[in-house]
Amino acid sequence: MQTNPINLMLRRLIGFAGVMFVLSAMIFILARIVPGDPARISLGPSASQQQVDAMRQEMGLDAPLLQQYSEYVWRGVQGDFGKSLISGRHVSVEIVTLLPATLELVIVTVLLIIAVSIPLGVLTARHRNSWVDNAGRFFSIVGVTMPSFLFAILLQLLAANFLSDWPVIGRINYSLDLPDGPTGMLLIDSVIHGDWEVFVSAFKHILFPALALAMAGIGQITRITRSAMIEHQRRDHVLTLKSFGVPDRVIVFRYLLKLSSIAPLTIMGLEFASLIGNAFVVELVFSWGGFASYGLEAILQKDLNAVMAVVLVSGFFFVVANLLIDIVLMVIDPRLRFKEAD
Amino acid sequence: MNNLLDIQNLNVSFRNYGLESNVLKDVGLRIPEGGRVALIGETGSGKSVTSKTILGTLPENAIIESGSIRFDGEDVLSLSHGKREAMKGTAFSIIMQDPLSSFNPVFRIGRHLDDVLRFADRRLGENSNAADRKRRIERVLRQVQLSDTERVYSAYPSQLSGGMRQRVLIGLALLHQPRLLIADEPGTALDVTTQDEIMKLINRLVSENGLSLLMITHNLGVVRKMADDIYVMRHGEIVEHGSFRTLFKTPQQAYTRELIAAIPPLYGPDVEDQPPVDAEPIISLSDVSKSFDEKLLFGRGRSHLAVKDVTLSVGRGEIFGLAGESGSGKTTVARMIMGLIRATSGTVQVDGDTVGTKGQGPDFRRLIQIVYQNPGTSLNPKRTVGQTLSVPLRFAGLRGPDVEKRIHELLAHVELAPHYISKYPHELSGGQKQRVAIARALAADPKIIVLDEPTSALDVSVQKNVIDLLQRLRDGMGLTFLFISHDLSLMRNFCSRIAIMLRGELVETGEPRTVFAEPQHPYTRALIAAVPVMSDEEDRLKPKTSLDEQRRYLADTVA
Repeated sequence: MQTNPINLMLRRLIGFAGVMFVLSAMIFILARIVPGDPARISLGPSASQQQVDAMRQEMGLDAPLLQQYSEYVWRGVQGDFGKSLISGRHVSVEIVTLLPATLELVIVTVLLIIAVSIPLGVLTARHRNSWVDNAGRFFSIVGVTMPSFLFAILLQLLAANFLSDWPVIGRINYSLDLPDGPTGMLLIDSVIHGDWEVFVSAFKHILFPALALAMAGIGQITRITRSAMIEHQRRDHVLTLKSFGVPDRVIVFRYLLKLSSIAPLTIMGLEFASLIGNAFVVELVFSWGGFASYGLEAILQKDLNAVMAVVLVSGFFFVVANLLIDIVLMVIDPRLRFKEAD
Repeated sequence: MNNLLDIQNLNVSFRNYGLESNVLKDVGLRIPEGGRVALIGETGSGKSVTSKTILGTLPENAIIESGSIRFDGEDVLSLSHGKREAMKGTAFSIIMQDPLSSFNPVFRIGRHLDDVLRFADRRLGENSNAADRKRRIERVLRQVQLSDTERVYSAYPSQLSGGMRQRVLIGLALLHQPRLLIADEPGTALDVTTQDEIMKLINRLVSENGLSLLMITHNLGVVRKMADDIYVMRHGEIVEHGSFRTLFKTPQQAYTRELIAAIPPLYGPDVEDQPPVDAEPIISLSDVSKSFDEKLLFGRGRSHLAVKDVTLSVGRGEIFGLAGESGSGKTTVARMIMGLIRATSGTVQVDGDTVGTKGQGPDFRRLIQIVYQNPGTSLNPKRTVGQTLSVPLRFAGLRGPDVEKRIHELLAHVELAPHYISKYPHELSGGQKQRVAIARALAADPKIIVLDEPTSALDVSVQKNVIDLLQRLRDGMGLTFLFISHDLSLMRNFCSRIAIMLRGELVETGEPRTVFAEPQHPYTRALIAAVPVMSDEEDRLKPKTSLDEQRRYLADTVA
């Protein structure tokens, strides 16, 4: 008996909607039980009690908790997360301006991870226990164990000392005219507008932060790819193809690679989602000015509305990334598509 | 006659962590042009290493020390790498053993076939286009009796049955019309009726195409039908060689005699009849059904009836055999009896209590235990025998020195020396592992033991020892066995009563003597007829079955 893939997907979607709902409830309750009155934070210590009370009313904080929550969810669905307690601007506006920077950084990071770690994983698996393998394993251990800010600083030092005009901070050379593109991601916008100069500058700026951010992922995914390749190498189906003289490179790069990419891709999805929230260290070192550092600042300043929005947006990306990975895995692995009902 | 394959004084050793072990010792084997030769022996005897040496697929740590393999007069071992590769799949090819794991699960069947054909063509210096290759593949698929070639071609491995996949594996070997076909235990992973079909198919293809066959197997019943010349292998050496008739009538070596004696007969004077047991029932099922529902988003999807209206009772002290092919529902029945899953309708009673109404407490767990099919996977490799056995004992409330005392008792029951307590599973042989698994089941002092194909992963001689042990245990401890198997010749000798299942229904129940002598249901007849036996007399005593009956009941039969 076989299950319909669409049905499977729908079930997954509903599950993810549930995850978002639970997440929003948790962060809302947390935001209300942490000490500190949002109205007081917003107005500062010098405001009078009357001013604070008026603000509480304006923010709807005097309503019952359940009503507050349902209103919050209703507005949140429409993209309104309230005003920042510090800047007084709409949180959603602030996030929309900062998110593309982080998204761009994370996407380039993920592409880097894939481009480096999968070939490296295949290479180390093929030359198992040789010097190539040892070097590869050493490299991945270094990647996993060294903190990303250290890589970031080392890369900055490298740029400053040896690459004279390589940029060490920011997203772009601000003397250039920025394309007011549709996505806010400079690499994509510059391609859309055909602005080569902006593209090169944006690429130079993004390469080192992305590399610093990618190192941990590269180490992890290399190791997972390597062990998946080794695991599948001793299966009967490899022996089948070998017995009929199918060349080694075809067995490795076609048959084994596809089968062995399932595990690293699954990890990749989680990696992508967690990078969006965790990129702040690298963002701070490179003065990137993105969503992740915005979230950190919101936490430090106790900007509760902003914190809630940041958590929800990160959660949303987590859910979407996993959904996308699920679809990719279904395309790769027919066993997931035609899952037998047990 | 001209020898197509001539192996002389072949010595192969494996190097592991600096240690060298000699796995083939002076192996000599000849296959005449058009001949059918069988290589028999138990696990680890070197059969597969021999076939891998011929094919050139030995692992990297293997060293060919000396000897020669002549194929059509040419020494294969001294050929250049390119020439050697070119022979693969074209001069000789192999039928892989396990149809379930021999295809890459994320590629279509057609992709496997096409790649094998394409690269073989290229090595022979021929250029072939895709349409032409597809035509050739379809022709071969029809040859192996897969008529719906389009569906097979575009199917993923998991979408085909085991029998169909085995046929594709045969097709794979025939793509380039090799002269020598090496069959490495084909069909042993399949049901007995499917296996029978596969053997007939291989036999026909060999004779129609004038191929030579090297049959590697441990099933001596298969050998009788499939080979004219037999080599017996043990510990990497050929110990005996001769035609089937001489080898079986007058085996020279003690080992060969043991091997033959270990095979349970299906008919004839050597068949053992277990005395019927007349006792009150300890397990009784009445009108038990079990359906599995597909979970949909809303409402219920299609449901699949795995067990349908099964009524049976097992008397105290019986060895009750439950036979049937994979998917017939025998394991589902056993799991309901154990209280692992709940029956959809009907009642299951064990030792007077109805299973599934109240929570199954520790008392019930102690009442009924299970021994699984594969001791290699059912024992935790990281735990010693003692640790494995102490888990159920601790659940049974034993502490301190009592545990150790009981473990020694259990090891004595399964006839293992006390020092086995500190061994890890990888230090044990298959038979010893299964003994540990039996000891584990005995730990809770149960009244009933479910034996789920306890010997199918073992060699025949080991199988006999384990069965003898089980029988002694039953007699000594008054146990009741529920024996699940598809090995009918074993069940004929071991069970006091058997039941045959087909597609979730019980089609026949009775004492083995009557069931085998006068099978009532046509499915039982087809099933018994497919069991490979050792002699023509036994073949004659088998029930007669018509092609029509086979086609009606056996899923993988293609006329």
